[in-house]
Amino acid sequence: MRVATVRSREQRSPAHAPPPARRRVPPLRLLPLAAAAVVVAGPAIGFPVNDQRQIVLVTILALTVSGLNLSFGFAGELALGQVAVYATGAYLSGYLGAHGHTDLALQLAVSALAAVVVGIVTGIPGLRLGSWSLAMTSFFLVLLVPDVLNMLQGSTGGSLGLTGIAPATFAGSALTTRAFYVAVTVTGALWLLALRNLVTSRHGTAFRVLRQSPVLAASTGIPVYRMKLTAYALGSIPAGLAGCLFANLDHYLSPTTFGFDLAISILAASILGGPLSVYGAVVGATIMQLGPLESTSFQQYSLVVFGGFLLVGGVVLSGGLAGLLHAGWRRWGPSQAPPERRGDAALGAFPGTALAAHGVSKRFGGMQALRDVNLVALPGRVTALIGPNGSGKTTLLNVISGFYRRDEGTVTLGDDVLPTAAHRVARAGVARTFQTPSIPKGISALEAVRAGRYAVERSSMAAAVLRLPRFRRVSRADTAEAERVLELMGLLHLAHEEAVALPLGTRRLLEVARALISRPRVLLLDEAASGLDEDEVERLAALLRAVRDAGATVVLVEHNFRLVLSLADEVYVLAQGEIIAHGAPGEIEHDPSVLREYLGVAPA
Amino acid sequence: MTLLWSALSVGAIYALVAVGYNIVFISSGAFNFAQAQLVMLGAFVAYWGLTTLRAPVVVVFLLAGALVAAAAALEERVAIRPTRDIEAQLVTTVGVATLIEGATQLIWGAQPLQVPFFGPTGVARVLGGRVFPVDLVLIAVAIVVALGLAALSRTTLLGLALLAISEDREAAEVRGINVRLLALATFAFSGLVAGLLGPVIGPKTFAVATLGSALALKGFVALAMGGFGSMTGGLLGGLAVGVIESFTARYIGEAYSNTMVFAALLLVLLVRPAGLFGRSRERVV
Repeated sequence: MRVATVRSREQRSPAHAPPPARRRVPPLRLLPLAAAAVVVAGPAIGFPVNDQRQIVLVTILALTVSGLNLSFGFAGELALGQVAVYATGAYLSGYLGAHGHTDLALQLAVSALAAVVVGIVTGIPGLRLGSWSLAMTSFFLVLLVPDVLNMLQGSTGGSLGLTGIAPATFAGSALTTRAFYVAVTVTGALWLLALRNLVTSRHGTAFRVLRQSPVLAASTGIPVYRMKLTAYALGSIPAGLAGCLFANLDHYLSPTTFGFDLAISILAASILGGPLSVYGAVVGATIMQLGPLESTSFQQYSLVVFGGFLLVGGVVLSGGLAGLLHAGWRRWGPSQAPPERRGDAALGAFPGTALAAHGVSKRFGGMQALRDVNLVALPGRVTALIGPNGSGKTTLLNVISGFYRRDEGTVTLGDDVLPTAAHRVARAGVARTFQTPSIPKGISALEAVRAGRYAVERSSMAAAVLRLPRFRRVSRADTAEAERVLELMGLLHLAHEEAVALPLGTRRLLEVARALISRPRVLLLDEAASGLDEDEVERLAALLRAVRDAGATVVLVEHNFRLVLSLADEVYVLAQGEIIAHGAPGEIEHDPSVLREYLGVAPA
Repeated sequence: MTLLWSALSVGAIYALVAVGYNIVFISSGAFNFAQAQLVMLGAFVAYWGLTTLRAPVVVVFLLAGALVAAAAALEERVAIRPTRDIEAQLVTTVGVATLIEGATQLIWGAQPLQVPFFGPTGVARVLGGRVFPVDLVLIAVAIVVALGLAALSRTTLLGLALLAISEDREAAEVRGINVRLLALATFAFSGLVAGLLGPVIGPKTFAVATLGSALALKGFVALAMGGFGSMTGGLLGGLAVGVIESFTARYIGEAYSNTMVFAALLLVLLVRPAGLFGRSRERVV
């Protein structure tokens, strides 16, 4: 059945799909840019002054919301402390403005820097525990705002508020209302552009991988903790910028502005607009600003309405308005044609390195999961690890990949002892797949495979934001490699399909592709063939043979005994945490202890 | 000693919020952000029953318990059950918390309301310090509730079933545990506890809509200090937060008390992320 659906899809989206489908995409991409241009040019084309003020307020709110989208939507870290960062930026800029440093560019830079510092300092402890620890520690910051302002009463005006903020200047000349409007909207547009460049790059995929599963992230070489902290600190920046702009809007700051209500409305705007989107922040902020935050008669109902938004948004509208739009576009918009087959996809050289476990033991409480395990996997060979359920196969893989600390023993890769941190193991060249395929939501098959190259060839976030040549080169290489591997596996026609929506067997193959694309020195496959139909098993087996013949080290944990016999060069049998036999498949097939332990057959 | 008594009674309130978090956390692995708002709702119902309805104390207790339990059960149905991942639950429970705050403001206004204490109100001298009876009752209630629940969760079959659910939901289901019913029941139970506390906490904190956020945060600090899932930890964490807060306010300055509590939270998270009584678990693939 599954084969049939895959084939029919192939027929539906052949290589000679009409090219206009592709060409229709760019104008859509330019739409936000055009919208930004219109907004920035607002005063020149006659927006009324009152509307200009509203647009400034929307932009300021959208900036804070957008920061939340980055840390919460993309990286999965709920940061409720945007308001505290916002207040930091506002009061710092206000203080500077009241003390003769009125240059807006300077104030923006200082605010952004302070925002990053606040983000890092509060992120470090909060990120160490689960997701709601960060939510609570960052929420606590909001509680601290009035207290800190009181402590620094001399500079902040305490509960009376900060007055005497001089109007902002830029390059020595005072900013008119109109020029300030332009400065605000340009700042907002530039941030959105930077964010868009970041989240559409490999780093955006990495954030989603992190959100999907820290384990998966580490296995592709992403340093989990640092990445989380980066997302959180980056998400603070726009809030700091927004604070700076806000301080220069009315030249007066009151501590009552920066309360829980604002924190909740930022969250509500994010949920409403769609946390997993760049422009959703603007939509959410516009609705919030023109709706609840504007009308005073509405104020007493505002909390009830915000609460309702959050409840409904969290349950029904999980992608927000932007999510609806995306879903609609995917469904009814033009589909992107799959990349063209080149027909000459080849594996190339695939030099492996010997992997060896020496006397590895692992105990969980009272259970000895692994006892003195010795195993050697050589390059150019497929080493299979078999054993009954619960015999310790996956535990061994987890020890090797650094997800479990080993109690005793060492694991070596070539002449080096393998590091114990999972992302370092991955970077040392050990790639793996998981028993249950782990693929982030909302990305295409191509992107899912590209994610495997994150740590192989590096390019910085700054390069992605600025679209530097290095970023473009690495990005092109990512795509080319991913297309090549997908073609090798016969999955190229699915490149632009949403990866999580593919059938289980295909997702397993995608995981193998993600592991292969990093050209690992050792390839660990955890039950890669289970759930595959016969055709897919054949494809996988052929691929693994090719990979082995190209010189790779392949370790295969597998239940499919026939596959093991046909594929493996060396078989290790694990039972109750101990290696009970190892040798060539032919020997293992007839080993009496294996028959007894594993196949449940009494030796004749 | 006078200061210590009042510190402990404030801490007892935080401890009770932490215990409420734990009831839900142990049974469903969820974090109910709105727990403190449920406690707050209990205080409002107590005000309503005692001052507006002038109902007998026993009736007020029952009323508060029943209403808040119903609110919590409703929360489970609309905010927890339809969502599966923890991020969505964070959002929805924050939503419920905001809703409760907004609703109480609409019904009872934004001014703090004095909830009369049902017991004696004269000042007593205990262990060399002056103390209100309500403070003593609060401390006693916190100790009894936390230790009682700790004993229950360890010794009864129900407690074991709840532990099993938080450990592995599907496995528990397969063993014939009605996971959905129990999740609903534990939410209702945490609401019941929160509601019953209303008439006891209200006289100390007043019934005011801004109470929720502060209680939620301090309750969380208590939880983090004591260790997630540990009832005794939550109790000691709560008392510790009360002591830190009151002594800082008295000796350093009112404006510094929240900051000091926050510093203590950061310290605990950095030095012992699992809390003083929690156990860390190895990551599982």
